[in-house]
Amino acid sequence: GTSHSELPVSKKSRKPLSIYLVDVVEGCRLPVLRKNQENEDEWPLAEILSVKEIPGRKLYYVHYIDFNKRLDEWVTPDRLDMKKLQFPKKEAKTPTKNGLPGSRPSSPEREVVSAHSTAGYSSQTLTCCNSKLRFVNIILSVIMWRKRKANCGGTDEDSQDSSDGIPSAPRMTGSLVSDRSHDDIVTRMKNIDCIELGRHRLKPWYFSPYPQELTTLPVLYLCEFCLKYLKSLKCLQRHLTKCNLRHPPGNEIYRKGTISFFEIDGRKNKTYSQNLCLLAKCFLDHKTLYYDTDPFLFYVMTEYDSKGFHIVGYFSKEKESTEDYNVACILTLPPYQRRGYGKLLIEFSYELSKVEGKTGTPEKPLSDLGLLSYRSYWSQTILEILMDLKPDNGERPQITINEISEITSVKKEDVISTLQYLNLINYYKGQYILTLSEDIVDGHERAMQKRHLRIDPKCLHFTPKDWSKRGKW
Amino acid sequence: MSKLSFRARALDAAKPLPIYRSRDLPDLKDCVSINRAVPQMPTGMEKEEELEHHLQRAISAQQVFREKKENMVIPVPEAESNITYYDRLYKGELKVPKQLIHIQPLGLDNEQPDYDMDSEDETLLNRLNRKMEIKPLQFETMVDRLEKASANQLVSLPEAKLLLNEDDYLLKSVYDYWVRKRKNCRGPSLIPQIKQEKRDGSTNNDAYVAFRRRTEKMQTRKNRKNDEASYEKMLKLRREFSRTVTILEMIKRREKSKRELLHLTLEVVEKRYLLGDFTGEVLNEVTVPLAEKPVYTAPVTLTNGNRHKAELKTKTGLMHQVSIKDEFPFDCVRPKKKYSKRDKLYTQRRPGRPPSQYTVNKADIKQYDFHSSGEEDYTPPLSPPSEPDEENDPDGLFAFRRKAGCQYLSPHMDQNLGVLWEHPELAGMDALRHRHSLTALSLPSRLVGLGRRRMGRGGRVILDRASSGLDVVLKQLDPDAFASPVSRTRDINRLVAQRASMSSGVSSATAASSFAEILNNIQSLRWHCFRPRPAQHQVNEGSRMGKPSLDGRVTSSLLLNTKNNGSGGLSFTAGADNQQLVGKTSEIFFTSAQCAKCTLTSYGLHSLLQCSSTGTSRPPHSATLSHSGAGISGRVSSSGIGGPLLPTHSSSSLQSLPNHRNHVSAVSPAHHHHSAQPSAPSPSALKLATVATTLDHVPKVTPASTISNLARENHEPERLLNGISETTMAMEVT
Repeated sequence: GTSHSELPVSKKSRKPLSIYLVDVVEGCRLPVLRKNQENEDEWPLAEILSVKEIPGRKLYYVHYIDFNKRLDEWVTPDRLDMKKLQFPKKEAKTPTKNGLPGSRPSSPEREVVSAHSTAGYSSQTLTCCNSKLRFVNIILSVIMWRKRKANCGGTDEDSQDSSDGIPSAPRMTGSLVSDRSHDDIVTRMKNIDCIELGRHRLKPWYFSPYPQELTTLPVLYLCEFCLKYLKSLKCLQRHLTKCNLRHPPGNEIYRKGTISFFEIDGRKNKTYSQNLCLLAKCFLDHKTLYYDTDPFLFYVMTEYDSKGFHIVGYFSKEKESTEDYNVACILTLPPYQRRGYGKLLIEFSYELSKVEGKTGTPEKPLSDLGLLSYRSYWSQTILEILMDLKPDNGERPQITINEISEITSVKKEDVISTLQYLNLINYYKGQYILTLSEDIVDGHERAMQKRHLRIDPKCLHFTPKDWSKRGKW
Repeated sequence: MSKLSFRARALDAAKPLPIYRSRDLPDLKDCVSINRAVPQMPTGMEKEEELEHHLQRAISAQQVFREKKENMVIPVPEAESNITYYDRLYKGELKVPKQLIHIQPLGLDNEQPDYDMDSEDETLLNRLNRKMEIKPLQFETMVDRLEKASANQLVSLPEAKLLLNEDDYLLKSVYDYWVRKRKNCRGPSLIPQIKQEKRDGSTNNDAYVAFRRRTEKMQTRKNRKNDEASYEKMLKLRREFSRTVTILEMIKRREKSKRELLHLTLEVVEKRYLLGDFTGEVLNEVTVPLAEKPVYTAPVTLTNGNRHKAELKTKTGLMHQVSIKDEFPFDCVRPKKKYSKRDKLYTQRRPGRPPSQYTVNKADIKQYDFHSSGEEDYTPPLSPPSEPDEENDPDGLFAFRRKAGCQYLSPHMDQNLGVLWEHPELAGMDALRHRHSLTALSLPSRLVGLGRRRMGRGGRVILDRASSGLDVVLKQLDPDAFASPVSRTRDINRLVAQRASMSSGVSSATAASSFAEILNNIQSLRWHCFRPRPAQHQVNEGSRMGKPSLDGRVTSSLLLNTKNNGSGGLSFTAGADNQQLVGKTSEIFFTSAQCAKCTLTSYGLHSLLQCSSTGTSRPPHSATLSHSGAGISGRVSSSGIGGPLLPTHSSSSLQSLPNHRNHVSAVSPAHHHHSAQPSAPSPSALKLATVATTLDHVPKVTPASTISNLARENHEPERLLNGISETTMAMEVT
């Protein structure tokens, strides 16, 4: 690494040192204590994204390197391993005070990828910091590093911004951002502490643009049915005297058992659509709420009990997709996760595509959970077909990729990627073949036994609309 | 590895792939490496996220175990999911409907306030509730309105008063509380809202701004045109709705007035009964002075458009002083618009000339009526070039200029025989049509002078009087008639004064004794009799010449005529009776061989002889209003009622007269119309009839006139109502 040549001097440097000899500032990296799923202590490396002082103590917002952002959290100083503190490498660039519109501080995460092997972080530890002056300089450099502009270092290949820094609005189609044009320090951090929704409390995973004055609340209350956000339980109580919804405000297009699907038009029912998006944004990193909800339909999956139709999850869908997307955003609310509802949502989305007579694919980028869920669904769907194929007149059963796609409404590319992922495609005696190994077959059979929730196409009452013939969405 | 030497073909999605079980292919291991020949599909994830620890762990776990292991799952932040108070919070149960739920798109908006009370508000409410009752919902509604009315600035207290319409104390308390709370509020509003984008683009990168409009979608020109059209339609719809509201309000008012009138009528009858006023004397005494009162206070006013310019028509040598410039205190509301569709014939003939303009209390209309831009660009009605039609009916439905603050009844079309120039048989004989004749009344028998009979609104017969050089002669016949009249000093009369054409000249007191008698009669009974007033200057033909006004021109033309013609002899002609009229009315036609042209000075209003007690119960009016002039005259000629004033009636010799011979004929109208009221009489009409009968012993004409006073006074509400109904009609047509 280049390390520090000369450190810029600034008047802002006279910061009082806290109880720690070293002031841990934004950009520092150090191991932070966290419990893993087995409830064991782990000390993954983390980066300090923000520091805040509440009466009595300091809190640090940390991002665990190589972990998803959703695990970022505020930690107390005692969880920091100060002995292994790393200071960020100084940037030679002149920092700007405030990011110009359109400037994109790249995520440290990204930095990790590029700087991983280059030892970008100076290996300074506590011992180096005997000299106050030097330390102050280090702090300064840290501040500058954090505020540096994005165009330093390697360029981002997926950037869609114009490079001259002119602010550009994101594309108007789709619901996800693949570039990080808005990935500044504000949106990088969760802003809502806790959401109460019906019987559940939810810990948001990501930033969501709820009204700013509500972000300081310990709990944000949501009406379970209309999803209106309220600042207190009292307000929610009052709201419930006026809100008579007991299901999502749309038409029920599917019902089997306790599971129902409601279709909501993002143009006709803006308030609900927006409230839904705000909630969903808490759990979807790449979702953008930049534009209105008009071009989308929202399919909300509910579970019925005597209190009403409770939201379990949803997916949104563009009324007209130019890229064969049949899902824009998809989410199972955390309390319902890992119980098969996600797959149910995906299955439903493909049932709609079947009615439409189209193949479809989810909008990209996928999240980690999205990828796993889709892969799992595709795998099961394709394997189901392959295993059901019977020998024809003693001939070996065979099928084309296009046929699989037509039957399942899964887009061809997704079929191929799934076949690849499952390692089914082989080249044998001059031709491509599909081979089903023992563990694939066994694994599939075990998985299908656990898959109780299925969509029954007979219960779907859905007539697709030709949105292109309408003046507006 | 030799198998790698050949290149695998690309995977063809359309080519069938045979499916093998691994056990069927013992030699499969040899070809696994070939798999790389198929290009790797992207996962669809962001690259760096793909490398995340937990995902990689989960993927590899799946690869190895072919199913999820509990500890290999991607961890997520979790919170406890057991809200103990849930059942108390969400009260009630919902039975699942058998049918799939379908929601009505319009049923979503209930008019509930968006503001939700918090605990702080509850404290206030508890405090307030010690003094008065205020419900949480009421409080929320108040705050909601205050919030929504405050954009950048807080609503002021006076504004809040308008907005909330609550008890003063309550309002003040809530308002003060709200202002305080708003100041301490961290957000821009007490109702938390998603931050809106700003037009200047300054919020393009604000993370808290969401749901921006998609503005870049350019509209095609066609769309824009459609939008414009729909916008206009919406405007129109809105205006029409606002009119409907006005109409309904007027109807409400009418019905109220009707009820009031009924009560008053009953009261009068009762009082009269108590007094024993069976002859109606007391009533007369009481009502006559009442009649003197101006009637300005009425809420419904019939006005003429104020757009009439003074017009002078000289084409046929007849001078109509059609109108004067009146200063109307208020404008009519969109007369052109209302009129235009009502009667196309009319419109085409006289654009911008409303035949009837009932102005309802302007303020009332204003509040519902929204002027749209560019739509009502009325062109100030110019005095149009005179056309044949114009002269037949120079002023539209109203033959006179209406005055602000006055109320008029609409013309009683089915009885309207009076206006000479409405008779088609006289077409082309313009001079004849507008002539004035020497007129006398049979009962009371007296000589009126130059006059012209017209049927006025409400069936009243109006005698337009004119003065001429003949007045000197006429005066001798009936000096009293030319003496200072029992004048009504109304505004109307001022018009007369301003317009007064000719002086009556020197009067010689050689009158028939009978006339004096009649005069007494008239005076004692307050006969509405106006005579043309002498001009301010002593009538000297020469001095009048200098007057620059229209009058001057009129006078000069008169002058000429009189000079040439000199005085003519007079003859009495007994006119025919009105067959259908109760009163015995006869007309005397004064035919003067060499009569001067007359100015049509008092074009309508001033010599109002109100002889009929009508003005009530006239449902047909609204209907007849919409007929064109031609239709009216047709009907007129066919109907048997009406005065014998038509030239055809009065004397055949008149007809044969060449039209350059001016002759003057006049009609004495005095006829009662009790029998001429076929429609179901309203209470007031009934009452009038009663009055009329009680007065039977009085000379016929006089009671009638008195009654008419009475009628005017008492029937004010009725007239208003009629006015309203006509307004209503007009609006509906539009």
